[in-house]
Amino acid sequence: MNLIDIRNLSIELKTATKPILAVDHVNLKMREGEVRGLVGESGSGKSLLAQAIIGVLDEKWQVHVDRFHWRGQDLMRLSPEERKAVITKDVAMIFQEPMACLDPTATIGEQLEEAVDVAQLSGFFWQKRQQRKLAAMNLLHKVGIKKHQACVKSFPHQLTDALCQRVMIAMALARRPILLIADEPTAAMESTNQGQIFRLLASLNQLKNMSILLISHDLENVTHWTNTITVMYSGQFVEAGTTEQIFNQPYHPYTRALVDSSPKASSMIPNKSRLMTLPGSIPILQHLPIGCRLGPRCPRAQQKCVHAPKIKSYHDHQVSCHFPLKDSYS
Amino acid sequence: MLIFTLRRISLFFFTMLLLTILSFSLSFLFPGEQLINLTGQINATPEHLAALAHQYQQQASIVSQYFSYLSHLFQGDMGYSMASQLPITTEIFHRLPATIELTSVALLIAMFFGIPIGFFAAIYHRKVPDNLILAIAMIGYSIPVFWLGMLAILIFSIQLGWLPSAGQISLLFEIEYVTGLQLIDILLSDSEYKWQAFQDATRHLILPVIVVALAPATIFMRLARTAMLEVLDTHYITAAQAKGLTFAQIIYRHAMRNAVIKVIRDVGLQFANLVTIAMITEMIFSWPGIGSWLIESIYQRDYTAIQGGLIVLSTFIFIVHIIIDFVYAALNPLAREPNHGT
Ligand SMILES: Nc1ncnc2c1ncn2[C@@H]1O[C@H](COP(=O)(O)OP(=O)(O)O)[C@@H](O)[C@H]1O
Ligand code: SF4
Ligand SMILES: [Mg+2]
Repeated sequence: MNLIDIRNLSIELKTATKPILAVDHVNLKMREGEVRGLVGESGSGKSLLAQAIIGVLDEKWQVHVDRFHWRGQDLMRLSPEERKAVITKDVAMIFQEPMACLDPTATIGEQLEEAVDVAQLSGFFWQKRQQRKLAAMNLLHKVGIKKHQACVKSFPHQLTDALCQRVMIAMALARRPILLIADEPTAAMESTNQGQIFRLLASLNQLKNMSILLISHDLENVTHWTNTITVMYSGQFVEAGTTEQIFNQPYHPYTRALVDSSPKASSMIPNKSRLMTLPGSIPILQHLPIGCRLGPRCPRAQQKCVHAPKIKSYHDHQVSCHFPLKDSYS
Repeated sequence: MLIFTLRRISLFFFTMLLLTILSFSLSFLFPGEQLINLTGQINATPEHLAALAHQYQQQASIVSQYFSYLSHLFQGDMGYSMASQLPITTEIFHRLPATIELTSVALLIAMFFGIPIGFFAAIYHRKVPDNLILAIAMIGYSIPVFWLGMLAILIFSIQLGWLPSAGQISLLFEIEYVTGLQLIDILLSDSEYKWQAFQDATRHLILPVIVVALAPATIFMRLARTAMLEVLDTHYITAAQAKGLTFAQIIYRHAMRNAVIKVIRDVGLQFANLVTIAMITEMIFSWPGIGSWLIESIYQRDYTAIQGGLIVLSTFIFIVHIIIDFVYAALNPLAREPNHGT
């Protein structure tokens, strides 16, 4: 059974004139227990997509979706409140800047305790308080924080970024989620800390069978930890497939460029001449190209590309391009 | 926290230095004899004046003159009022408490009403309550104090007769001077009419406090609204939402505390503004405070009183400012807790 199945999710930014389509008909499908990478340059709308799934976008944004299934349940049939209840029960999210995501005026302990699910507690309120404290300690223990006594009494600014991220993960674990959305969990961290966080996530995936949507702007960084990958560019769906498919045989010119620009890949694919990247940079929301948004930067672009391409599927490997690179591999 | 305290102390020191220099130079800038401006001894005999000149080191350099002025200040000698020929220190001691009472009650009232209303507006951002509150705040802020005070007296004292229009307490009550703060003195006294006196003093306080508090309250409204909007836009509020907290929980547990801290930081600046309004209000309501006394001194060209009053009033504002800074630090862990990387 699919854990989550999203078809044609669009996010519009409301402006004074006409709304801007920041995320343009993106699909996302995940199986239970899967670790899926969501990759794309900064500004591709990855965070927007994640926030739309979990339902925390503010009223500036308008979300449309054709299909939103959660473990076989059609969430579009529910009212927004019911939908939010279902999602917050089973889906947790950790954010890009852990320190900014913790209330600076509350201690870690307070913030952890309030995340603990009421359903796990029993007895009178003073017993519950004790249980909450205990649950908070256990959570910190689970994410590998040894000095939990000191940690619960600290304020966020007294901890390092990596520790804050662990606390955020602990908080996310509090409601025993089935899906964890990790939005660039290791951004701005040293590589040793990065490794620790990724290993922690991987162990949670294996021990608790928790599915993870791992968001990153760096393809190479996540390939080691993911089963499948979805690539986005400028709010559009680019390509989705298993990690091997994406990394070894990318069908889309954009994915190809991402793979080629990573040093590890260019050493693995010897027939590839040089470390190459696409010219130019990702368009800003106010100046989005029509049709395939990669057009202005794409080496394979032709006239047809002013119309948005349809998604083509080759054995679970989906690509959205008029001229996929499929035939270049034999 | 130690560094924070040291910083405030040095700030206090330098501010006092500048203030005393300013006040000292005023005695030169005011018309008339500098020594007389400084001491207020308008009826002194030539011998007496000569003695004073010696005391204030008139024959020595300007720096030693300044230091002898300072040493007089520290001994609590600010000269005599040119108008009443009473020591300035005595006058101020009798009048400052009334001002402290009026301004501090007004500040608390302004915060008590302004901040929650501002939060309310922010929660209903861009909806009817928000626009309504903004409009009211605009009007409240633009009403001249003088006009507002007169209007309040006209309606509530003269036409409706609900509240007294002048003074601090009815002359029927005799309250022993202990702290000078009327309400506290009443509570300390053992008069059998204690509660009547307390009621009467409170009734006298209501109109002036409202007049003083109105404009600052509208400023707090806007500060609180902005602060709350900023807080609601932060990542930690989004993260709290993702944690599954309800909107009410988010407001009570996270947003309010952070927004209040942001507002408190600006309260100190607003206090100077509030004292200015209080000075005018004291005139209108014949409130026996230092503000009305200072304005009268300006009318009467009582230069000695102006110098003393300025120093004391600015020191008072500055001390309140520092107290508010400490409250801010106490509330804000970022300013209070050391940054150790556990
Ligand atoms: N609050 C916002 N207001 C206006 N534009 C925004 C806001 N947040 C994001 N954007 C824009 O939306 C696009 C996608 O942003 P985001 O989802 O954060 O990208 P990513 O997470 O992939 O780096 C970017 O062009 C960004 O400038
Ligand atoms: S659709 Fe055209 S522009 Fe877009 S990626 Fe494919 S070839 Fe390039
Ligand atoms: Mg992002």
